[in-house]
This record gives sequence, structure tokens and C-alpha cells, in this order.
Amino acid sequence: MSVSIEVPSPIDEFIQGEKEPASSGVVVVLGFVSMLSFLILYGILFPGRDMPVISQVLPMFEGVFDSGIWFFLLGVIFGAFSIIATMLTEATSE
Amino acid sequence: MNVIISTLATFWLLLALSFFLIKRGLWIFNDVAKGLSMFMLEKALGPATDFVSGRPGSSSSTWIIHGLVWAFVASTLTFVGLWLNHDATALHSFESWGYRPESSELIYSGRLTALFGAIGMLVVGTSLYSLPRLCGTHLASESNATLVSLLWTLSVLLMFVGSQNAVIIGITILPIANLLLTLATTALVINMILTVSEATQEIPFPGWLIVFAFIGNIVAVLAVFITGAFNEGVGQWLLFHLAGGTFFFCGVAGVSLYSVSIGSGNPLWSKSLVAFTLFGAFITINPMGSIDPSVVVDLFSLTSNELAPSSRDVISGSFLMALSAIPIIAFSANMLVTMRGSDAFVENPDSPGIAELNLGAWMLIPIAIGSLFVQTDALGGVNELNGISQSLDLMAIWLVMMPLSVGAALSVLPRASGRHQLSANRSRWAFWMMSGGAFLGLLITLMSDFTDMALTESMAEQGSSINQELRKVGSVMFYGTVIGAIFHCTNTISGQYRGRIMGDVSKASLSSIAIESYSLTGPTTIRKILASGANLDTEVSPSEQSEEIGSATEL
Repeated sequence: MSVSIEVPSPIDEFIQGEKEPASSGVVVVLGFVSMLSFLILYGILFPGRDMPVISQVLPMFEGVFDSGIWFFLLGVIFGAFSIIATMLTEATSE
Repeated sequence: MNVIISTLATFWLLLALSFFLIKRGLWIFNDVAKGLSMFMLEKALGPATDFVSGRPGSSSSTWIIHGLVWAFVASTLTFVGLWLNHDATALHSFESWGYRPESSELIYSGRLTALFGAIGMLVVGTSLYSLPRLCGTHLASESNATLVSLLWTLSVLLMFVGSQNAVIIGITILPIANLLLTLATTALVINMILTVSEATQEIPFPGWLIVFAFIGNIVAVLAVFITGAFNEGVGQWLLFHLAGGTFFFCGVAGVSLYSVSIGSGNPLWSKSLVAFTLFGAFITINPMGSIDPSVVVDLFSLTSNELAPSSRDVISGSFLMALSAIPIIAFSANMLVTMRGSDAFVENPDSPGIAELNLGAWMLIPIAIGSLFVQTDALGGVNELNGISQSLDLMAIWLVMMPLSVGAALSVLPRASGRHQLSANRSRWAFWMMSGGAFLGLLITLMSDFTDMALTESMAEQGSSINQELRKVGSVMFYGTVIGAIFHCTNTISGQYRGRIMGDVSKASLSSIAIESYSLTGPTTIRKILASGANLDTEVSPSEQSEEIGSATEL
């Protein structure tokens, strides 16, 4: 006599915690600090040489963002998108 | 010819006629007129009314949220306008797209969107909730009022476009925006008159302030056109100030007086002072606003004429503006005394909007007095104070009208929608950012204006560098208003979905460290209670205890 017991497969189920662990922010900060460190290291190892890619992209914006007002306008743009995002997410969330 | 008195006489006559018609009705045509009006408000719109909710309070919520979003737009435009005042080429990169932003244009757009978009929509939204309650009935048509908010928003959007580019494909934009605004106002007036006609109780004075804010605006336009004053500079100036004194002042006063009472839980202090506010607002000329009536000229597509009043106009205009101190002081005093006690303080998050109402009521009198000096100076042709006119106008908008309308809307919104704002803390931050940004930013800009005037008077060859620095600091400070408006928008929108349900006091929390209740087991000092984390809203519950010496429990 054999008895079969159905065991849920652990492979097919996706599980995600509802709460964010407090230490997850540390990982992001660590990544940011590493990025800055590598940039500084590049300046030390290759003094006087432009950054690859970035040094070619930035001149495109010369004469565009050449006033301090753009820092504030970036905040305004961020605020406008946060209002739109709040409207969309609140209206569509369960 | 005395333009001011003859136009005002027509204005007062038309107002009296309106009051008589509202009170007495249209004799045997009453039922027909009511039926026809209701048909126009709902059935005539066809399936459009089915797209919106007819739930009580839904129209009010819609208008208030639109108004807060416009407050964000208006603050941004004003901020950029103030910045370009000292750094004219800051946005020159837009020229490659064919757009050349100028300080005066952006400040003009900011004024239009703040007045009609933010303040206008907040006042209408709050009125749509408060007027039916004051009448003891329901709004005649919630669905129509909700639909009209879209029409109003479209007209404000056209105002923004028209203020940047007056003519597009040969079409003048601002008169079209005004046409849409008039259409929306007409629908609102019909809706409100039908609501008043179903009143089950005597309507308190704040209710009449709201009704006549809308009717008075239309009557002011009619009076100026009937008398033909629209062709003269004085007539255009008068229409600008009559619109400011009716729709904006009476509307803001009506909803503020209602909100301050329901928000603080106190009865309105004085009925007589509200009556003074109501009658004074119509009899006198409100001095707040710009000395330049270009808003009226542009919206009605008139020919701009120089302000050249006769000596009689100067005397009567100055006298009537000075008289406006009576309704202004009466309104401000009534607000401030009504807010007394009941913890109507800026730190009380359970009364959202009270802090804004407090600020607006405090700032009203000094700004009105300043405006009185500037307007009298301009009407008399002296023009010595013209230099501070723009800053004072912005102060009237951002430190009086905006706080009062936002405060009233925040008090009413939870009651209309059934939910509180998402976060009391963010609401408090929004208040400090908006009020601090507007107060400091505009005060510093005003200082710069005074310096400019002094330099002009002394005929200095070179401008002062400190002056530019002051303008820079002023514009940066004003950025706080933009941040505050963003906080208000996100907080209010999220609150509509996830805010604490109205009347659910179990989860009421005052701050992250405050305690909700404190058990008093013995005599103690207030200092010790406050030190334990209690605040003015903490409930103190005395616990029974015995002073007898304890002993073993008998089994």
C-alpha cells in the first residue's frame, strides 16, 4: 500500500517579502561609494585624460544647462513626474 | 465725467436686482425655470454626465485636486519668472525651439494660473461642498459641477498658452479662454442658485458671500459694459478691482469663514462682522491686485487705454478704496478670533488647513494697507510706488489668497471625500515650505524693488550689485513654494485612496513620538506629563487608586 502526499514544488513559487530589509540601503550606498572611488582612481591612474564616453556626451549639453536655474528645474520636473506617478499608481493599485 | 461712481451705481443696482430675484423667484415661471435649468445641467449634456460620479462631495474633491495641481504650475511659473528677472538669459537654450521666455510673461502666466487655476478652482471646490451644507440641502447637480471642472481647467490651460503666445493661427487665445470661463461660471451660478432655491434653513452670511462672489463677478462685467466704461482706462482698472473684490475676495472670505468654523470646531465669532464683510466688499473697491489692468484688457480683447482719471474719479476711487479697510479688518478679525482656543494651532495636524487660514488672516491687513498706498498713488497719477506694485501683487496672491483658499480646501476635502490626507507630517511640511518660501522670497524681492526705486530716484548711473543678489536670493527662496505645492499635491492625491477614513479616530496619531493617552495614577505636574511625550491632544485618564496602606489579600 502506498500513500502519495502532494508536496508543493519549491521551484515554481515566487516569494517576495513585503517589508524592505534595513540593510538593503547599505548595498546601494556601497555601490555609489564604489563608483565614486573608481572615478577618483581613474583620475589618479590616467591624469589629464578625459573620461571615456562621458567626455564625449557632456559637450552636447554645452550652452543648454549653463544656468543654475536648471538644478531647480530638474526638481520641478521630478516633482511633476512624482505627481503624475502618484495619480497613476494610486488609481491602479489594488 | 465720474466713471467710477456711475459704474458702481449700475453695479449696486444690478446686485440689488439679483438679490431680489433670488429671494422672490420668478413668480409663476419658477417651476419652468427650475425644470429647464436642471435639464440644461444634466440631461442636455447627454451621455457626458454618465462618465462622472454623482456622489455627494465628488465634484468638490475634483475641483480641489485640480486647484492644487494648478498651484504647482503657478508656483513654478512664478519662480522661473522671478529667476529670469535677474538672469534674463538663463533659459536662452529654448530659443532653438523658437521659444523665448521672458520674466514679465512668465510672471503674468503665473498670476493667471494662480488666480484662475489654483485660487479659483479651490474656491469653487470648497464652495460646492460648503454652500449646500449652509443651505441644509444637497448640491443641485454634482455630475454637472464635476464636468464643468474640466471646462474650467481647459480655459486656464488656454490662458497659460495665450499669455505666452497671444495669437496662434490668427486666433487670439485669451478671449477664447475667457469665453470658456464664462460658460463654466454660468453653469456654476445656475447650479448654486438651484441649490439655494432648495434651502431648508435660513442661509448664514458666509453662504451669501459665496453666492454673491459668483453673481457679483458677472454683474461687475455687465455694469462696466452697460455704462460703456470698458473703453476707458479707469473703467478697465475698475473692472479689474471689482472682479478682485467680488469673486476672489468674497469667494475666499465665504469659504474661509465656513472652513475656520468647521476646522477649529468653534462657532463663528461675529455674525455682524460677516455682514460688514459682505456689504463692505460690494460697496467699496478692493485695493489688492496690480495697478495694471492688462488681465482685463487681454481677456476681453479690449483696447488698452492709459489710466487717466478725472479729479472726481481720483477722490471717489481713493475714498472707496480706503473704505475697504472695514470689510478687510472685519474679515481678518473674525477669522483670527474664531480660531482662538480649541488648539487651532499650526502644530495640530488633525485640523489641516488651519495653519494656512491663520497665515492668510494675519497677512491680509498689512498687504491690503500696502496695496491701498500703491493703488492710491497710481490712481492719483503720482506713480512713485509703481516699482513695488508687482511684488505686492504677488504677495497678495501667495500670502493671502493662496493660503486662505488652500487652507479652506484642506479643511473641506476630508469631509467631501471621506478620507484624510495621507500624512499629517507632510501636510505640515508643505505649509512651512509654501508659506516660508513665499514670505521670504517675496519680501526679499520687495527689498530689491525698493532699492531699485531709490537708485532710480537718485538717478544713479550704475545699478547696485547687491540688488541683483537680493533678487537671486528672493527667487531661490520662492522655490520653497514649488516644493510645498508638490507636497500638497502628492499628499492629497494619495490621501484620496489610502488616507485615514473620516471619523476613524482609532488610528489618529499626532506625531511619531506623541502618545495618545496618559494614565494619571496620582498627583503630578504638567511638566512631567509633557516630558513623557504627551502633547496638547493627549487624553489624560485618571486611574482610581487607594491611599490606604496595602496588606495581604484575604482569601
